[in-house]
Amino acid sequence: MIHSVTFPLRRFRVEDDSMRPTLAPGDYVVVNRWAYRLRRPAAGDVVVVRDPEAPERFLVKRIFDVNRSRIEVVGDNEGRSRDSRTFGPIPLEEVIGKVWIRLRR
Amino acid sequence: MSLLYSLARLLDRISPAPIAYAHCDIPCGIYDPHHSQLAAHTVVRMNDLINQLEKPGTSATPEQRQEYTNKLARYLATKEQHAEMAKNEIRILWGDYFKPEHLKTFPELHDLVWKALKTASKARQEINLQAAEDLLKATNDIASIFWKTKGFETITAKAPHPTERQTVYPKYK
Repeated sequence: MIHSVTFPLRRFRVEDDSMRPTLAPGDYVVVNRWAYRLRRPAAGDVVVVRDPEAPERFLVKRIFDVNRSRIEVVGDNEGRSRDSRTFGPIPLEEVIGKVWIRLRR
Repeated sequence: MSLLYSLARLLDRISPAPIAYAHCDIPCGIYDPHHSQLAAHTVVRMNDLINQLEKPGTSATPEQRQEYTNKLARYLATKEQHAEMAKNEIRILWGDYFKPEHLKTFPELHDLVWKALKTASKARQEINLQAAEDLLKATNDIASIFWKTKGFETITAKAPHPTERQTVYPKYK
């Protein structure tokens, strides 16, 4: 099986509050884009996904449920998060990757 | 500051990291420019009423003066309130509804909102029909963009209010 040759790691800068206290605005996350090549996403993973309501934006959220081809995500800061509770499950193709490390000031 | 964080900051200068939004705010998703247009109509109407109000002459009785003062004070208070309402409604659309992708499609929004807020302040501060008309026009222009972002066409029609000014309405499907 040949995968397209892309560098697996990608940086993102975090904005907004929905992942507090895990992630705060200004943090960087390094995302492993190959994380789900060998295993399936699991509940509890923090992932970067495409925003279903604005495809050119990315969201960082935590998986709370996985079914066959879709995942549901929520923010850790549930009272202040727009997530699957509003936009429903996300297809696996929209998952960019799993957050591997967090860099904080 | 950790070394890796400093490294990420440095990398950002070379090639900015894309943003992963941990998006917040209660996403009620309920927005409508109508409130701002309605408030602007009221400001126009108050200017009309103030301008129609007969000023007491030198021979006016104390009762006539009192009546004039009462009416003027009520019109002014309402004008103040509604100009502020218009500003608040515009701010909500600006701060909560409009997104970066809307701005890409309608880059004039920045300037439009900026001017709308300034005009609303002027309409609030002064007895100035032109400022009120400008405010109404600004709310119409914002409404027109708002409905386009929602995928609705708009029509411009005479409002069914005493002001009878041209107003932008969505063509609901």
